[in-house]
Amino acid sequence: MVAAQDGHGGAYRRLLGEMSEWLTRYFQRRLPPGDVDDAVQETLLAVHRRRHTYDPQYPLGPWLAAIAKNKWIDQLRSLARRPMDELPDDMAVGDHEASVVSSSVLASLLDELRPAQAQAILLVKLQGYSIEDASGQTGLSPSAVKMNIHRGLARLTAIIEKIHDVE
Amino acid sequence: MSNESLIADLSSDLTPVQRRSMLREGGLVLALGAAELMLFLSLGAMRPDMSHMAGSPFLMWRVGSLGLLAAIACVLAIRSFSPTAQPRRGLMLACALAVAAIVGGVFVTPDGASERALLDRIDPASGIMCATSIFVLSLPIVALLGALMRRAAPTQPRLSALASGIAAGACGAFVFAFCCPFNDPLYVVVWYTTGCAAVTAVARWCLPRRFRL
Repeated sequence: MVAAQDGHGGAYRRLLGEMSEWLTRYFQRRLPPGDVDDAVQETLLAVHRRRHTYDPQYPLGPWLAAIAKNKWIDQLRSLARRPMDELPDDMAVGDHEASVVSSSVLASLLDELRPAQAQAILLVKLQGYSIEDASGQTGLSPSAVKMNIHRGLARLTAIIEKIHDVE
Repeated sequence: MSNESLIADLSSDLTPVQRRSMLREGGLVLALGAAELMLFLSLGAMRPDMSHMAGSPFLMWRVGSLGLLAAIACVLAIRSFSPTAQPRRGLMLACALAVAAIVGGVFVTPDGASERALLDRIDPASGIMCATSIFVLSLPIVALLGALMRRAAPTQPRLSALASGIAAGACGAFVFAFCCPFNDPLYVVVWYTTGCAAVTAVARWCLPRRFRL
């Protein structure tokens, strides 16, 4: 990183490559699979924009982890803002997220929420169910499911901001 | 765009960057605060009985506690701009220090002050002027801390903005403490806190807006 701060492009390229691998593993445990690449690239851009803030007196790992955590929270916020309309049946590509729940850290953090909020987030945001399907499974109205998702994700980001790190 | 092509884009034509230095940033804030104090005093704003009051416990409490709070709050605010910082602890420390300073005011209350009516002691007409002056004096420091914050990498910008607001408010109150003619700790606590709270609210609202790492 010191070489990169001094303008050494080759060293910077190698560094970003290693960071990219680490970030992919980091976000795979924390976000739905479809959001991992976005989060990695957002973090790499942030590292690039803020590379002057790295102090060589301290290790690079915590500096990168702090930026990655910030981007994780940003992604969770964008997850909350994303429209929750049902996908049309004639869409060319089927939903592949429903079968994969690799965001293990996120899933474990759901224990911190009220059960109704955790269930709504798990069904809609992690397993890919539509609002109507989640409403049928939970017995709540669609607007109550949406409200639980919105409030649950807001609470989740507040929890993550307060704690130092999550594994 | 794949990660590989993004990395290739970012690493091509890489220019050297000047590393962030907290010492340099602290020096900038100190220089601005000192310039503001010098300008303010050179305009003849210092209280006329300063030479007579300089050794009084009340003035020592007011100037000393505000100076200490301003210095510590500025350090905490600048430290909070680092990605690995934990601004929550710094904020707790600044708040604890402010509470300790307020409690200290009890011991420097002039004789007879506690016998006066509450409204007479607080003197809202003058108090609003004091709070407004502190607010105005704090604005340059808020602007500077805001610029430093946006150039750095605070991972909790809202807390960093709060810390910046407290630091700027304490700096403004410190400068104003040299000209305020009132000698009642209750007056100081009420109106200086109001001025600082207003600056902190503005900083909390404005500084993190549209900020992204």
